[in-house]
Amino acid sequence: MQTRIRKSMIGAAFGFAIALISGGFAGILAGLVAGLINGYVVPEAEPLADKRRAIVQGLTVALVGSVLTILGIVLRNVVIDPIIGVPLNLIGVAIAAVGAVLLCVLVSVVMCVVRTEPPARERIGMAIVVGIILVTYPWLDQFLNLRFMNEVIPVLVFLLMALGLNIVVGYAGLLDLGYAAFFAIGAYAAAMVSSPHFGLSLSFWLAIWVAAAVAAIFGLILGSPTLPLRGDYLAIVTLGFGEIVPIAIKNLDNVSLSLWNYPLFVDVDLTGGTKGINPINRPWLPIIGEFSPSNPIPWYFLILGIMLISIFFISRLRNSRLGRAWTALREDELAAGAMGINTVNVKLLAFAIGATFSGLAGAFYGAYISAIFPESFRFDVSVMLLCMVILGGLGNMSGVILGGIIIQFADRLFLPQMSTVVQKLIVASGNESLRDINFASDFRLLLFGLTLVLMMVLRPQGLVPSNGSARVLPVAAGEARHD
Amino acid sequence: MATSHPRVAQGVPWRSIGKILIVIFCVLFLTLPLIEMVKAMIADPQLLVRQLLIGLTNGAYIALIALGYTLVYGIVELINFAHGDLYMLGAFFSLTLVGVFSLTPETPWLIRGPLLVVVLLATMAFTATLNMLVDRWAYRRLRGIGSRMAALISAIGISFVFQNLGLLWGYLRFPFMNGVMGSNAVAPKSFPALFPNVNLLAGTGVRFGAKDLIVVGVSVVLLAALYVFVTRTRLGKAMRATAQDRDAAALMGIDVNRTISLAFILGGALAGASGMLVGLYNGTAVFDMGFTAGLRSFTAAVLGGIGNIVGAMLGGLLIGIISALSDQYISTKWTNAVVFGILVIILVYRPTGLLGDDTAQKA
Amino acid sequence: MTTAMLELQDVHTYYGNIHALKGISLTVNQGEIVTLIGSNGAGKSTTLRTISGLNSPRTGQILFNGTRIDRLPAHEIVRLGILQSPEGRRIFPRLTVLENLEMGAFTRNDSVTMKEDLERVYTLFPRLRERIAQKGGTLSGGEQQMLAIGRALMGRPTVLLLDEPSMGLAPVLVEQIFTIIQDINKQGTTILLVEQNALMALAVAHRGYVLQTGLIVLSDSAAALQSNETVQKAYLGME
Repeated sequence: MQTRIRKSMIGAAFGFAIALISGGFAGILAGLVAGLINGYVVPEAEPLADKRRAIVQGLTVALVGSVLTILGIVLRNVVIDPIIGVPLNLIGVAIAAVGAVLLCVLVSVVMCVVRTEPPARERIGMAIVVGIILVTYPWLDQFLNLRFMNEVIPVLVFLLMALGLNIVVGYAGLLDLGYAAFFAIGAYAAAMVSSPHFGLSLSFWLAIWVAAAVAAIFGLILGSPTLPLRGDYLAIVTLGFGEIVPIAIKNLDNVSLSLWNYPLFVDVDLTGGTKGINPINRPWLPIIGEFSPSNPIPWYFLILGIMLISIFFISRLRNSRLGRAWTALREDELAAGAMGINTVNVKLLAFAIGATFSGLAGAFYGAYISAIFPESFRFDVSVMLLCMVILGGLGNMSGVILGGIIIQFADRLFLPQMSTVVQKLIVASGNESLRDINFASDFRLLLFGLTLVLMMVLRPQGLVPSNGSARVLPVAAGEARHD
Repeated sequence: MATSHPRVAQGVPWRSIGKILIVIFCVLFLTLPLIEMVKAMIADPQLLVRQLLIGLTNGAYIALIALGYTLVYGIVELINFAHGDLYMLGAFFSLTLVGVFSLTPETPWLIRGPLLVVVLLATMAFTATLNMLVDRWAYRRLRGIGSRMAALISAIGISFVFQNLGLLWGYLRFPFMNGVMGSNAVAPKSFPALFPNVNLLAGTGVRFGAKDLIVVGVSVVLLAALYVFVTRTRLGKAMRATAQDRDAAALMGIDVNRTISLAFILGGALAGASGMLVGLYNGTAVFDMGFTAGLRSFTAAVLGGIGNIVGAMLGGLLIGIISALSDQYISTKWTNAVVFGILVIILVYRPTGLLGDDTAQKA
Repeated sequence: MTTAMLELQDVHTYYGNIHALKGISLTVNQGEIVTLIGSNGAGKSTTLRTISGLNSPRTGQILFNGTRIDRLPAHEIVRLGILQSPEGRRIFPRLTVLENLEMGAFTRNDSVTMKEDLERVYTLFPRLRERIAQKGGTLSGGEQQMLAIGRALMGRPTVLLLDEPSMGLAPVLVEQIFTIIQDINKQGTTILLVEQNALMALAVAHRGYVLQTGLIVLSDSAAALQSNETVQKAYLGME
């Protein structure tokens, strides 16, 4: 019982945080999340076989989860909302609380029951639960008037990229700091062929393959100079590439190239420079027609689909010979080479495949925004992705997704919210010098930086440790007495 | 080359192909532009000399920062990502002190001179301490076997923390700072013009100002002091010994952790000095100025031979000149790319640098 | 009975999960040469590293003149007077011979006696005097070994730990080194000598221990060990 309650605090904490930070009817969502997380974590620590006991387990767990979620909802409405000027709506609070409890109970019990099944069916069951939640979410969002959809889609894009980065950093152990470059390359490649820019106006469905291919090729190109390099140098060189690519994109609007004395092309506008490329063709499907910017639902399902297919492929990769070669490479490159693994090919493949996913994300993003600019691909994107992977736990997908969601949540919801709250407080206190402080933009770097440092110092294996990560980043171990 | 063993697979020699490809690329596409560039240089020698002198000043401040990279890498084999941002914080700190001391272009030199020295020393102390603390809290406990990636990631994190500190520095608008931070907290800050804006070579058509002399002069003094320290003093030699063989150094009774701290302290001090000099020279400081400076300085350190102190100085000078020439004859927009290209080329063709590296393990 | 100068009591040292020393107990009395022999991987170097503080024992104690030193950091153990010439020489390759010797004297700051000690080292190892300004890495193996021992002597050791001083040296040099070891001992330095060359080691030592996979299997006077049949077969190459 002790364990059960202790472990359910994890999900409860998430529920509390979401309810507190999001406000409004998001509290109901908080309840759902709490239930889902607890439904995963608690049976992990306390596996049961009997369905009736599982129901009891689910109910206990839901109780803890709901209590904290309701606390979050209440705190939000009673303490924070008045500060930011949202009028108190007791009926709203009641509805949110009830909804949160209902969803929490429902999901917790279902998850706990599902977890009593033998492993194969258990996985299918969990997949179904998560699948139902994911599929029905857009309508839930509409119903509760959460208006999160426009945030959720970019989040999914970044999660896709994080999964790709995880291949390079987590599986193969190559610290790539310039990963956002492939995002840009993919986006631009797709944009160049599916917009009036070059006269080609291919459909999105073709452009996305072009993006993937081009990104993969660049993955090979940018990966090759790093082949003989050791960890730190590899990081710096990839960092450099991550910087150079946006510079190049910004400045390649006026390209003239001559081979010796023969002009190949003169004054070509390759990338559109600072003004970018637009408009980009949107996907078209029968029945649904062309995806429009005002209806996020088809986009949502598209990116979700891309993500699910990617997850499938990546997990197959992980368990393949290539995946095992990556693990060997990561653990000890010299030994891997000595065992007959072609380290060159393995590394290049890691870069290329990782880049592909980023390229796909870029292509999607370009179509979604319908225009791309060099400004969208700055260095802090690369670092943010690294944070996601490190926070979650190198080398394991669920960790990366979890870490990614947390970072995105903190960046998009928590920081702006905190910003609003603190702003009001500052204005109320009358302090002049801090008047224009803006948490959302001014503290992002601190968020990412501290995440990296604290994770390394406190918990290098990440939130969801996997076998591999503990060995890539062992904390000062062994008997050697340096410290 | 030895005859190939029948059982060892002959893989595609990517490395050699890559090197040859790069050479072909350069020859085909870069020869003519290079020739154009050289012609432009010859056509206007005065401009060339001006650029070389700018390169000298650049080289000075880059060398100061490069030494920090090289000292730390030599002794703990860590690329201190946060080092460039330390330079930026040095600039901000010195600006704050300038405000506190109410230094303006009208302050008489009798007061301005000594106070500037105080600002320099205080800034150096600040960045030195900051660097030492970062080592103690964020890097030291990650110094076990095989944790290099952890320390590197930690350094990246610290870099961001520093950048954010720089961003937030503008909010420190206390009355005793005399408005030196300006009214917009996040905009770049301006330094009062405290260096005399006099052209020492007026009349020759070439420009070398008193500002440049100060920057180059102070840098040379600091670099010389460091060189003497490292080559002649007991502690300096202990630092070099620790860089060459840490266990053996411990067996000499050298406190390895404190020696490592010393490397961070010295490197940090130099970066801070560089920040102040550049801030006063350029008249501006902005929170992300550490990135470019860091990239150039690190390239300089690698060019000279990482871990090699004289190498860092030489590398600094070379990169300073190259970036000045690139700014003038190519375009400022591409200089970062050029410097980075040099980094990649060194790492591919001659990773030990021009003067050879100086670490326990060859890079 | 006088307290032993250096004493290990049931020392267990681990490298990660590898149990390298499985309960070593040995003593070294003042003025002795004690040798620790054994084959490769027996744990001889680990023993010296543990004494010097480069590795810390998980359990067990190390006493120097009665006081515990096993939890001290390496640089403090050096200050107490326990100096080591490590396995593989480990001289500083890009420092000159003189600078290497200066590093040996790092913990001292009396320049007068330091000059005396430099002279002493040069007298013991005349070759070093000729190569004062040469970088350590350019010396031959034998010269590096002399430098390593000289470097350790510069710290005015009370106890000198020598880790395989004969490794990789030509037989003529080996004899020279061992004669010098005896001289150093006669001048008052207590020595703990780790060696693979059991023949020479037992010839100069007073007492010896035989180490086998982390455990001491024999402990006796050098003479007794030399006539011990097992030792003769396993380490002295006699049938």
